[in-house]
Parts: sequence; structure tokens; C-alpha cells
Amino acid sequence: MPITDLVAPQAVIPALKVNNKKQALQEIAAKASESTGRSEREIFDVLMQREKLGSTAIGNGIAIPHGKLPKIEKIFGLFARLDRPIDLEALDGQPVDLIFVLLAPEQAGADHLKALARIARMLRDTDFANKLRDARDAEAIYAVLAMSAPTEIKNAS
Amino acid sequence: MAALDTVSLTILLGSALILAGVLSSLVALRFGAPLLLGFLAVGMLAGESGPGGIKFDDVRMTYLVGSIALALILFDGGLHTRYATIRSVLAPTVILATVGVVITAAVMAPMAHYLLKLDWTESMLVGAVVASTDAAAVFLLIHSRGLRLRPRVGATLEAESGTNDPFAIFLTIAIVEMLLTGHQSIPAIATSLLIKAAGGALVGYAGGKAIVFGLNRFGLAQGLHAVFVAIGAVIVFGLGEAIHASGFLAVYLAGLIVGNNPARAHSTIVTFLDAATWLAQIIMFMLLGLLAWPGNLPSIMLPALGIAFGLMLVARPVAVFLCLAPFRFSWREKVFVSWVGLRGAVGIFLASIPLLVKLPNAQIYFDVGFVVVLVSLLIQGWSIAVAARVLHVALPRSGASPRRVELDLPGQLTQELVGYALGAHNPYLHRRIIPSWAKLMMVVRKQKVLTAEEAGIVREGDHVYLLAPPERAPALDRFFVDTPTWAEPDPGALGDFILPGITTIGELAEAYDLVVAAADRSVTVSDYFARRIGNSARKSDVISLGAVSLVALHVVDGRVMSAGLRLAEPDAPVPLLPKATPAKRFWRRVMAVPKLRKRKSKT
Repeated sequence: MPITDLVAPQAVIPALKVNNKKQALQEIAAKASESTGRSEREIFDVLMQREKLGSTAIGNGIAIPHGKLPKIEKIFGLFARLDRPIDLEALDGQPVDLIFVLLAPEQAGADHLKALARIARMLRDTDFANKLRDARDAEAIYAVLAMSAPTEIKNAS
Repeated sequence: MAALDTVSLTILLGSALILAGVLSSLVALRFGAPLLLGFLAVGMLAGESGPGGIKFDDVRMTYLVGSIALALILFDGGLHTRYATIRSVLAPTVILATVGVVITAAVMAPMAHYLLKLDWTESMLVGAVVASTDAAAVFLLIHSRGLRLRPRVGATLEAESGTNDPFAIFLTIAIVEMLLTGHQSIPAIATSLLIKAAGGALVGYAGGKAIVFGLNRFGLAQGLHAVFVAIGAVIVFGLGEAIHASGFLAVYLAGLIVGNNPARAHSTIVTFLDAATWLAQIIMFMLLGLLAWPGNLPSIMLPALGIAFGLMLVARPVAVFLCLAPFRFSWREKVFVSWVGLRGAVGIFLASIPLLVKLPNAQIYFDVGFVVVLVSLLIQGWSIAVAARVLHVALPRSGASPRRVELDLPGQLTQELVGYALGAHNPYLHRRIIPSWAKLMMVVRKQKVLTAEEAGIVREGDHVYLLAPPERAPALDRFFVDTPTWAEPDPGALGDFILPGITTIGELAEAYDLVVAAADRSVTVSDYFARRIGNSARKSDVISLGAVSLVALHVVDGRVMSAGLRLAEPDAPVPLLPKATPAKRFWRRVMAVPKLRKRKSKT
């Protein structure tokens, strides 16, 4: 499954200017609201609720906030690159500059977990993350995300 | 004129001796011997029975200098102790420092009674004199060896050694009074102890607050802050003793308060007091060495050695195991705490009190105390690093020591300048990330001072200076301290997301649609680990939970404090990890020691 089936080209934010976690999730919720049709507030609450269980930062400057959003049709992904890294209480202490948000419909169960695992594994690849950091604009980022798919499958098998 | 000559000679001789003490540290370090032993040896060599031949038997002077030195050492100990550390070990520490001292003294008494043929009260005094662990010796030995102990063990040892001196001093003085004035009832002694402790706590609290207030309110000249604090500490001690409260407890508490409150010139104060503590150690041990008459020792050597080994191998372990029984310490940790019951200057200092008040048999106490301290420093001091490794209580070293410079900014307390030198492997050069609460202010490049704007891109060899809140300065190390190889062995092995131990299984099941037993829903992650693999979890232990796995991340005393959430392998079946059987866990424990050694030799 290519990663681009989770992210639409318009769900990429190339240079998000935020100062802290709350602001970042608010901005991301606003963007996600455009594509999913759910309210900004609702999406923000879902993401914050998961953050309360523990940080979703996975190290190396990457975070994957996620949660279950009722009444959406399929898993929705959004990628945001931060203008300036922020502290998200990662285990390795590194501030985060790449955020991948994943929202799953109720009862997505196994699909939700699989999608999360795929994204986590993909972003852990330092070369891949650096390509995302170096990409010039939204299109370039999307191209990197689209490119990732074949190599990812190769690695997994 | 002759009088003036004597003064000059005393100054010359005294300073030469101290210099010899300082230089003896070089020799001591080379052989890995405890430094304090070097100071003691210099004193003994210079003394009456050594080649120096200096006649020195001024017990009063020794007591005076020893008290001040001890006050400074205890203050410095408090200064370096964080509330957070001490809070986590408060109960075991208090019990070790009070009940532990009494148990040690009580177990020692029969040995002294039979070995030294003293009566029971006198034997109790021997026990009291050698009962306290020495803050100076413990702090110094742990820190100078660069040992990183498990936080709970290190904190317990340091806090214990800081707080049991006042108690051993109470006990010693109470017994000395008993011997001087005839018998006092036990309740009377207990009440006077309580009053002394309460008074000391009060004086220490008020004194510490007053020092912080004075530091922040008076516009003292730059160099005077540290002097103000050091003298403040001695005043707190003197005041406490003058009103018959425990000055030693007071001065330790005052240090604790000064060290944990935002105050001006914190780093200068710490540096100054570290130096003052060194000087205090050297002078105190040398005076004690001078005071000791090794010529007298041979006759009492055998029984004294018996007392020393009895203390190390019987009394201290008994006290530690009894006192720590209600708390969650593993047996290895208890053995280590027992072994690091280092005796030091306090013991000899206490042993000199009977000399000062001219008790009968005073010389015996002194000689025994002296031998006990000597043996403890020699054997325990020398073997502390080995003991930590063998008993598995040392943490692996975390790279080179940080080269952080902290500069106070007069006019406010919330920010300071933090400086780093950037080597080739500096994480900042690779990632160029600064936490949001810090700000790059200036760069020193090729001996030129540049503003952040002038400097442009920071490069290797630069020194950077950042503005940051003082309490977060240590967190900057992660971004700016050179790390030759920053390689997590296997990214993802510890799980994808971190979960604090208090998360409930129900919350996880809800978030990820996991299938779990209804009975487990209200159980926390910590308890779930305990339920599945018992109370001896170790880092990287894995248990499955529905379609995901939990990996133990941060484990304290076998209890999982935080866990990693490992998501299922993409398009692969979830591995079913077998629960560790008791036999397997036993094998792991047996194998733990050689494994550690192997890891060490590799690095």
C-alpha cells in the first residue's frame, strides 16, 4: 500500500509556524477540518486526548499525533513540516520538526494500527526524514512521500 | 621578635603541610587510593611519631577546626542535593540515619565490651563514635570515581551520610554526658535528642531562608556572594550549637535550602564552596593525622581491627538490612549500601570528644575510631567502584562530562548565559536545533566575540553562549555537548510511542480498539507489567496486549515506570512473546554480571 493513499496532496503543510504543541495541533486541526468536514474543535480534542496518554513523539524530531475521529469514511493522514522545531517531550529529548497526523474512523481497529506502524517505520528512516526536511515546497514533499512507497515495501518483505 | 618568628614559622609549616596534602592527591589518584587517606597520611608523617616530628596535641584546636570544616562540608553536601532526589528517598533515609545509627551502635557494643574490656556504657560510646557514615567520604568517593549509581541508591547513600552525622553526634555527646555525670534515663536522652533535632531544623530552615534573602536583596559586590554564603553557613552552625540545638543538622538543611532556591551567583557559590570543602577536608584530615599517635597504636591494633571488621561485616549490614526491609530495595542494593557505609573524619572527630572532656579511657576511643576509619577508607574506599559493578548498581557512563559554562546575569534571576564549546561531533552542528526556551546570544570564534547575527552559521570550534532559565540549563546538554557516537542500537526496538506507567489498559484499549479482558481495564501499565512478569522487570521486557506489545522502558527497582507502545509489524503477524519463566529470570540475573563486563570492555 503506497503511503499516498493516506495523504492527499492538499493535506501537506510545508512550513508551519507554531511555538508549542497546542498551537501546532490547533493549526493542524484547522487544516484537517477542510478535508474531512469534521469541526476543527472536534479534531483538536481527539488529538489532545491521545496526547494525554503520553507524547506521540517517536524521536529524531518526528511526531505522529493520532486518534479516532467518528464519522469519517476512511483513514485520513496529514503531513506538516514545522518552520521552527518545538519541544514535544520526546524520549530522546530532540525537538520535533516533522509531524504526521493520522485520524482513523471508529472501529478501524487493525487498519488504524497498521497505518500507524507503517508511518512510524517510514519516518524512522533517517534518509527519508532528511529528504522531507530538504524538500523545497509542498509538491516536493508530496513527491518524497509518494516515492517512499515502493522502497518501503521492498524493505518490509 | 621571637614570637613573630614562631608565627611566621607556623604559617610556613602549616601552608607547606597543606600543599603537601594537595600534592598527595596526585599520588593517591595514580594508585586509585582514596584521597582522604593521602591527607591523613601526610598528617601522620608530619606528626610526632613520623619523620616530621611535629608535636601537636591541641585537641581543642582540632575540635574547633574540625567543627568548622565539618559544617562547611555538610553545607556543601546540602547545596548539591536536589529536593526531588531527597524526596524520593526520604523515608529510607530518615530511618537509616536514626534507627540505623542506633542499631549499628547497639550491635557494636557487645564487640567493644568483649574485645576492649570496657563496661557497657563505654562500649555503647565506641559504637556511637563509629556509627555514622561520613558525608565527606561518601560524596567524595562516589563523585571522584565518576560513579553513576542508580539514582535511588546514590540518593539514599548521600542523604543518609548527610543526615546521620547530626544523629551520631547527638548520641555520642549524650553518652559522654552520661559517663561524665552519672546515669541519665533513656527517655531523658530521647527528649533531649528530639529537642536538639527540632531546634536544629528550625535554625537551619530560618538560616537558609535568610541566606537566600540576603543574597538576592543586598547588592553585594561580585566576589562577595560566595564569601557571604560560606560565612552564613558557619553562623548557622554556630547559632545552632550556641542555643544547644544541632548545628550540624541546621547547616545541612541551610545548604539544602540555598541549593534549591533561585539565588544570585549560584554557580560562583557552588564553585567557591567546592574549593572550601576541599580545603576543609585537607585541613581536617591532616589535623586528625597529626593528632593521632601511631606509636600507641600497635598495642590496641588487634582489638581495633576486630571492631573495624565487625562494623563492616556485621553491624552495618544488620542495620541496613533491618532499616531497608520495609522499602523496595533489591538485595544487591542493600549489600551495596552496607558496603558503602564509609567512615571518615566524623568518626575521628567524634572520637576526639572524649579526649576533649578528659573521659577515662579517652585514648582507647580515639585509637579505635582512628583504626576503624583507616580500615574503612582503605578497604571500602578502594573497592567501591568494583562493588558497584559487581553488584550491578552502577549505570553505564553516559559519555564525556559536559563542558557547560554558566554565567549569572545580575538584575534578574530567571535567565542566565550558558556556554558550550562545539567540537566536531556536536549534535548542534548536525541538527541545528535549539529548544524554544533558549536563545543564541553570542558566538566566540577565533578569540573574537560576535553577536549571533554577526556570526551567521555556527561552525566547529566556535563557543556558543545561550540565554536560558538556570533550572533548564542541564537540559541544554542534549543539544550542545559533543557526543562521539549517538547511536541508539535499534530504533523502534523500544516501541513507537512512550506511555507513562499510570496509563490504564482501558485507555489504551479504547484508543486502539484492543481486545482486553474486562478485569484488566482499570489496571495501570505499571501494574499490568507486575501482574504479567512479577516485580523484577527489566528494561526491554516485552508483554503483548491484544494486537500491540508493551516494552518496559524506564524501570525502577523492578517496577515499570514508563513503557513503549510497539505497534504491530506492518502486514506481519504479531509476534507472541513468551512470558519470562522464573527459571529464565534467574538465569538472566546470573548472567547479568558478566554481560555488564563485556559491554564495558567493548567501549
